[in-house]
Amino acid sequence: MRRSRVGLSKWGFRQLAWVLICTVMLTACSSGSGGTPAASGGDAGSAPNEESASGGTTFENKELNIAVFEGGYGSEYWKAVIERFEADYPGVKVNMTSNPKIMDIIKPQLVAGNPPDFIYVSPDENTGTIKALVKEGALMELNDVFDGPALDSDRPLKDKLTDGLMAYMQPNGDGNIYYAPNYMSVLGMWYNKHLFETKGWEVPVTWEDFFALGEVAKAEGRALYTYQGIYPSYNESVFWPAVASAGGLEAMNKALSYEEGGFTQDAVKQVMGVFERMAQNDDVMKGTVALNHTQAQTEFLKGGALFIPNGSWFESEMADAPREEGFEFGFLGVPVFSEGDQAYVLSSFEAMYIPNKAKNPELAKEFLRYQYNDDIVQLNAEKSKGVMAVKGAVELAKDYIPASAYEAFKVYDEGALPMMVQWKQTPKSEVIINDELFNPLGDVMNKKMTADQWADKVEQASAKLRNLLNQS
Amino acid sequence: MKHRERNLFITACTLPALILFAVFALYPFGKAFVMAFYDWSGLSEHARYIGLNNFKTLWQDDIVWKALVNNLFLLLVVPVLTMGASMLFAALLTQRKIKGKKLYRTVFFFPNVLSIVVISVLWSFVYHPTFGILNSFLELIGLESWTRAWLGDSSTVLWAIAFPMIWQSIGYYMIIYIAAIEGVPTDMYEAASIDGASAFRQFRSLTFPLIWNVVRVTIVFFLIGVFNGSFAFIKVMTNAGPNHGSEVLMTYMYSQAFNNGNFGYAMAIGVFMLLITVGLALISEKLTERDSVEY
Repeated sequence: MRRSRVGLSKWGFRQLAWVLICTVMLTACSSGSGGTPAASGGDAGSAPNEESASGGTTFENKELNIAVFEGGYGSEYWKAVIERFEADYPGVKVNMTSNPKIMDIIKPQLVAGNPPDFIYVSPDENTGTIKALVKEGALMELNDVFDGPALDSDRPLKDKLTDGLMAYMQPNGDGNIYYAPNYMSVLGMWYNKHLFETKGWEVPVTWEDFFALGEVAKAEGRALYTYQGIYPSYNESVFWPAVASAGGLEAMNKALSYEEGGFTQDAVKQVMGVFERMAQNDDVMKGTVALNHTQAQTEFLKGGALFIPNGSWFESEMADAPREEGFEFGFLGVPVFSEGDQAYVLSSFEAMYIPNKAKNPELAKEFLRYQYNDDIVQLNAEKSKGVMAVKGAVELAKDYIPASAYEAFKVYDEGALPMMVQWKQTPKSEVIINDELFNPLGDVMNKKMTADQWADKVEQASAKLRNLLNQS
Repeated sequence: MKHRERNLFITACTLPALILFAVFALYPFGKAFVMAFYDWSGLSEHARYIGLNNFKTLWQDDIVWKALVNNLFLLLVVPVLTMGASMLFAALLTQRKIKGKKLYRTVFFFPNVLSIVVISVLWSFVYHPTFGILNSFLELIGLESWTRAWLGDSSTVLWAIAFPMIWQSIGYYMIIYIAAIEGVPTDMYEAASIDGASAFRQFRSLTFPLIWNVVRVTIVFFLIGVFNGSFAFIKVMTNAGPNHGSEVLMTYMYSQAFNNGNFGYAMAIGVFMLLITVGLALISEKLTERDSVEY
């Protein structure tokens, strides 16, 4: 009895085993072939030269692969612009990949040396891929695009861009342009306009005004300031403009390029002192350090604190969040140290890039120029509700963006100067300098670190990078 | 003849697994080890051999040592408390006549089937400084001075992360211990109670020695589980903050590889972690070396 049962099960087992082996083999094979990307449009270069010239240019290779980040601005615009581009350039075919995690998706292609022809994403995207591509020299130099004429005028394309922006399109600071800017944002402190109006409070101009409000706020059971606790680098939109205002742009650039004493100079220490003072006065909303961005911003909307740093996307970002009655977004910018000081307000940009190994760089460059055509900028504002980094774009977008965002862009008309933050590129290092600068803020807010200790700590990290720069 | 057929069969059976293991475990493993000696961004096909430079950097990197200390803290606290609690529950649910045993087993096991990300979000609301249940409870019982931003204070953040980890894994180990305890023949307990041994005495002198082999295995599970599992909790709850207060080697490796484009260095941290886990496994093996009692 027992014997026969064993025999039977052995047979069954053997057959089963073979079935299993075959299945496993098959799966392995199929997953193997699935791993190799379907070479889409890699060899479209043999397209014949067509006579029908649009704008006097023809392109041998008529296939363009673009990869775009699908964030707050959506992908509607990209679909629309592709349609127009294909209509204006007969025979051209644009393949789009759009995704909120676009860099994760194209990373394998970048590593394999088979990148898309055109990429749109913020240079500060959180995978650090764009920065790494810059370091690798894997992005195409775009100087000819910007020095050359725009598609719809005879003037150089760079004349169309917002003033002062071109300097930031050269991440290595060597005159080589790798970034082509598109969307702009304005960042700074926000407050509840309705609350300030009903209480009759004045919007602070100087840091003294700001701290005076702290007492007023406490009497109301509110805190003065909060920020996106576990992501302390949101404070950059307060930190750097304040440094620029205290010591001028030179002071800021001294720090951003790791010069000796960059973080122990007066302008920087003064700003660090502001944060220390907030901590010492208990002006920061209780528990701020432990909150993520959504939690902190929701607390702000509910009236927990008077001010919070964020960008012009704030109103759209928090569209569905609960808020206190009558809440109205108001943009403050950043206070100055003494009345009459020059105020600065941070702006940031997102950008487009062409990889060095793009299969169709000529068409990609044409597509890039096309982005700055007047009617396309208009289309962009309409579809994406974003503000392009070209002159007059704010007015073009006025009807499509939230009133608070429009107001934020208007600070530049009211005397504040625009500025941007760009750390000097260094050779590869373990130091993540932006984290080194803002991570200690948690300890400062917990009163475990003084402004001086904070400055010394960042100075040390900065020194490491300075040494690397000197060695190379 | 028969022997050959059998060998062939065994080979055929093990080969697929071996191939999969080689392709998906050994190869990446070896590759990671090699890349630790290169300067590589993770993006280009050019990698520059730099010998031990990544390891030299690692040796001088304060954050690595801070992360290691945090790792060791979690490795000590989480296994000890989890083991204590799950053993206690297992003993209670097997030895005692408790009503609703099945219900308790399900309830204790429940956190284990939740996704770690869900648990982390859940607990970050438990610890929420203004409306979190923990601070609200402390206020309710008049311990207002104890309330704090649990995840934002470098002196409490590790405990605040350890607790959900313990909560999540108690059920799993409890089930393992229950299974082991139920394997102990009941006549031994009968004999023991005739001899007048108390329940505690029975546990100490009978149950524990008899399930020692299982406990040993779970200790290795603990070490690996805590080492690898802490990543998701920390990433969601604190993002390694405040100021590296909850940084562990895993999160640091991640940020070097994926936020800083410094893959070679990240791999060096990975190799360092590997050495530590292997070391810990060997140490735990040695420490727990003790003849298990057979029945």
